[in-house]
Amino acid sequence: MGAVFSKLFAALIGNREVRVLILGLDNAGKTTILYKLQMGEVVTTVPTIGFNVETVQYKNLRFQVWDLGGQTSIRPYWRCYYQNTNAVIYVVDSADHDRMGISKQELMAMLEEEELKDAALIVFANKQDLPNALSCEQIADRLGLASLKSRQWAIFKTSAVKGDGLFEGLDWLCAALREAKN
Amino acid sequence: MFSLFMGFYRYLFQKHQFQVLIVGLDYAGKTSVLEQIKTIFCGMEPLPPGKITPTIGLNIGKVSIDGANLVFWDVGGARSLRSLWERYYGEAHGLLFVIDAADTARLEEAREVLRQLLNNAELAGIPLLVFANKQDAAGALTPHEVQARFGLHHAEGSSQPQHVLGTTAIRGEGIDEGVRWLAETLRTSPRALALQTG
Repeated sequence: MGAVFSKLFAALIGNREVRVLILGLDNAGKTTILYKLQMGEVVTTVPTIGFNVETVQYKNLRFQVWDLGGQTSIRPYWRCYYQNTNAVIYVVDSADHDRMGISKQELMAMLEEEELKDAALIVFANKQDLPNALSCEQIADRLGLASLKSRQWAIFKTSAVKGDGLFEGLDWLCAALREAKN
Repeated sequence: MFSLFMGFYRYLFQKHQFQVLIVGLDYAGKTSVLEQIKTIFCGMEPLPPGKITPTIGLNIGKVSIDGANLVFWDVGGARSLRSLWERYYGEAHGLLFVIDAADTARLEEAREVLRQLLNNAELAGIPLLVFANKQDAAGALTPHEVQARFGLHHAEGSSQPQHVLGTTAIRGEGIDEGVRWLAETLRTSPRALALQTG
């Protein structure tokens, strides 16, 4: 993991437990991001109700990853993972123009969960290395991010395969997760 | 009867919440202003210098001053992001416009952006605080010069309260005074009152 990020995290967050969900449609690049962060061994578990959850624990920071979309029957079980979440990293395939609408629906439905009402949101506009990738501004618009008024959010250009943009995003996350002292 | 009493009680004792939209050109220092507000009023750990990057999104700061809660919305100022601003107009009680007072090359652009804001019907009567920021930089215009160049001549009895202050956000200078002016002004702002009861 980037040493600079590690220092910033320690300075701003301290020893508080921080839980981050990395979510998005299938094939957005979530697992690639998890591996690129190199924070530890990625553990894949399949809960009995049947969806993959990947977990990385790095000191007091826990990342959990699964695919949104698809089977409606398992969705209620996602809630088990929403509790005490500090931030959501939402990963979008910037070149997947056709599914931008579905991605928006999934994002907005998820953010309505009571358990996530205080969670900060980072959108990774991923796969920026592809030629037909949409810009951050276009994706912010397509996802309707400006309708979010009581939640801190930011969008970053990333290329998970190259590792670009990931740590800039995490720096913002550290800043957003600081807590007031009084 | 009980609910009537509760309503009255709330009216008297509940803290009012005011939303303040921070706008201005990119690199004016909006996020630095917000960071200083968080440091001064919330005792929050300041961000290390160099860790403030151009905003594409929304940063939020919540501040409690003399019985009023102020929520600051800091949005990105890049040209391509300005179309997102209007989504916040309808719910903004106050406007904080940040200018890089030393960037004379972009003053005209900033003036045009402010002019459009003040001509927007959705922002009618909104209390306006202007920070002539980066006063520490060589050649920075003084607050008076900014006032003149931007045509900010507040007429007595005008329905739009205005206040121009010189600030150096990275050192926290001028921030406290500005935020207190906003808190005080919002308390008696007809626009804020209309938004809260409406």
